[in-house]
Amino acid sequence: MSIDVPEGEYLGLMGPSGSGKSTLLNLLAGIDRPTRGSIRIGDTQTSSLSERALAGWRARNVGFIFQLYNLIPVLTAFENVELPLLLTNLSKKQRRDHVMTALGIVALTDREKHYPRQLSGGQEQRVAIARAIVTDPMLLLADEPTGDLDAKSASEVLTLLQRLNKEYKKTIIMVTHDPHAAERATRVLHLEKGTLVEQVDRGPERPALQV
Amino acid sequence: MKFIGLVLKSARRSKRRTLLTVMSVAIAVFLFASLRAVLDGFNAATEASSSTRIVTLRSTSLFFSMPTSHAEGIKSTPGVQDITWANWFGGVYKDPQNFFAQFAIEPESYLRLYPEIELTPEDRKAFLDDRTGCIVGDGLAKRFGFKVGDKVTLQVGIPIYGTRDFDFNVRGIYKSGGAAVDNQSMFFHWKYADERSIQPGQIGWFIAQISNPDEATQVATAIDQKFANSPNETKTDTEKQFQATFVSMFGNLNLLLGSIALAVVITTLFVAGNTMAMSVRERTTEIAVMRTLGFPSSTIFLLIAGEGLMMAIVGGILGVGFARLIVTPDLMQAGAFIPVFGVNNTNAVTALLLSAGIGIFAGLIPATMASRLKIVDALRRVA
Repeated sequence: MSIDVPEGEYLGLMGPSGSGKSTLLNLLAGIDRPTRGSIRIGDTQTSSLSERALAGWRARNVGFIFQLYNLIPVLTAFENVELPLLLTNLSKKQRRDHVMTALGIVALTDREKHYPRQLSGGQEQRVAIARAIVTDPMLLLADEPTGDLDAKSASEVLTLLQRLNKEYKKTIIMVTHDPHAAERATRVLHLEKGTLVEQVDRGPERPALQV
Repeated sequence: MKFIGLVLKSARRSKRRTLLTVMSVAIAVFLFASLRAVLDGFNAATEASSSTRIVTLRSTSLFFSMPTSHAEGIKSTPGVQDITWANWFGGVYKDPQNFFAQFAIEPESYLRLYPEIELTPEDRKAFLDDRTGCIVGDGLAKRFGFKVGDKVTLQVGIPIYGTRDFDFNVRGIYKSGGAAVDNQSMFFHWKYADERSIQPGQIGWFIAQISNPDEATQVATAIDQKFANSPNETKTDTEKQFQATFVSMFGNLNLLLGSIALAVVITTLFVAGNTMAMSVRERTTEIAVMRTLGFPSSTIFLLIAGEGLMMAIVGGILGVGFARLIVTPDLMQAGAFIPVFGVNNTNAVTALLLSAGIGIFAGLIPATMASRLKIVDALRRVA
């Protein structure tokens, strides 16, 4: 499979279970390694980076949104969002500013001291999105971000992702089973058994971010 | 520094488990420091022994006595400047549980040979002048509330002294001027005990002051040769060897206490290691998430290992703190055998290092597990 994802695109990945969409997402995130082929994201050939370099690259360039939010239960919303910033050289005050900005974007500044168990599923996912964007990465990867949410919360999360794509020019690649979620993407790829079987384009042309 | 909050938060995840782990380390460190204090106490007494005093016992055992006539033979040995003697009394003060050491001594010479027994000149005179007088260590006085002028009655503990109780007048309270003498003992006139003994004229051990420490072995050999082939053969050693022989009556303490301490530490290591491994297993997804966020393996390793180290050090501080509070001659009533009894600074630092060692080793495998976690597999396990 060979695909190019233009910078600023909102790409949906669909397909039945076992089609390879999550594997593709993991490969793009650099948390899995290709056995063959290569992956280039921006100017970086990520498939040839060492584990340590890949971790550093991930911290700077990728925001990951999980289906089950995967917030750290013993940390508050603020601390969860702050987590990726601990790997930077930012001061405590700078980290606070960044976290509050991210929480502001997901409209949860008033929940900064809440623990995940004190938040609804939709709020947890928004905190997870804040965590994904707090380092201002170029690429957001979302693995079925609405898969565990009710319709209302799912819609809020999808709107938020769309806003991040349109207003903040984030390149988003989202795996989903939900056709309604996929409708928000500017392009949707359908995978089956590891191959690209269909491509639906909904958006305008953008400069290519080669993947 | 910025990761310390994260480590603390992680440790508070399961408060009960963290508390139990901390307490298990605290107990191990407490036991280690306490056992070490016993050995240190014995060693301190041995180390503080005078190099100019040699001790003569019956060759068979400390429990057999010698006739007073040996005194002349010892005193006339070349190199011997002065002698004194003592007997173990073994009396009971009110209740057998109130154990403390009592020695029947030849008072004048004993105080001369043991300047470590520090008395005021008035108390010293009062003691020497009173045949039924006794002196007690300040630790013992504190333990039972003895004051100068008090009457102390001891029941006979060794049948040789008959069956009648012994009454003593407290004539002085001494301070210990060195680890060779404890502050938990009682000394009284040998004559007073001897005159009521059914086997009078018997001595437990002689102490000789020698002029040259370098000649201790030769003088000791000369003394023993004097009594060779007699019904009361002797064995003379330096005070240091005598102390060591005394300690060896309890068996090989170093091995015994060392083995107990080692067993406790190893058990705690396994307990703490297992607890941390459980904790890491429970956090598999979280660790995978942190790796996904860009935390390098080395940071994950340090976070997990740091958590173990922190819990162990907190346990260590608690253990050492308790040991320092509890392991004292007064509280443990061990002064009769161990003049210097307590957790000294070296022992405390060693115990803290041990706790850090437990933390490091216990955290090593879980931290390695966590840092080597394959992110995708770990995420898939839950997803």
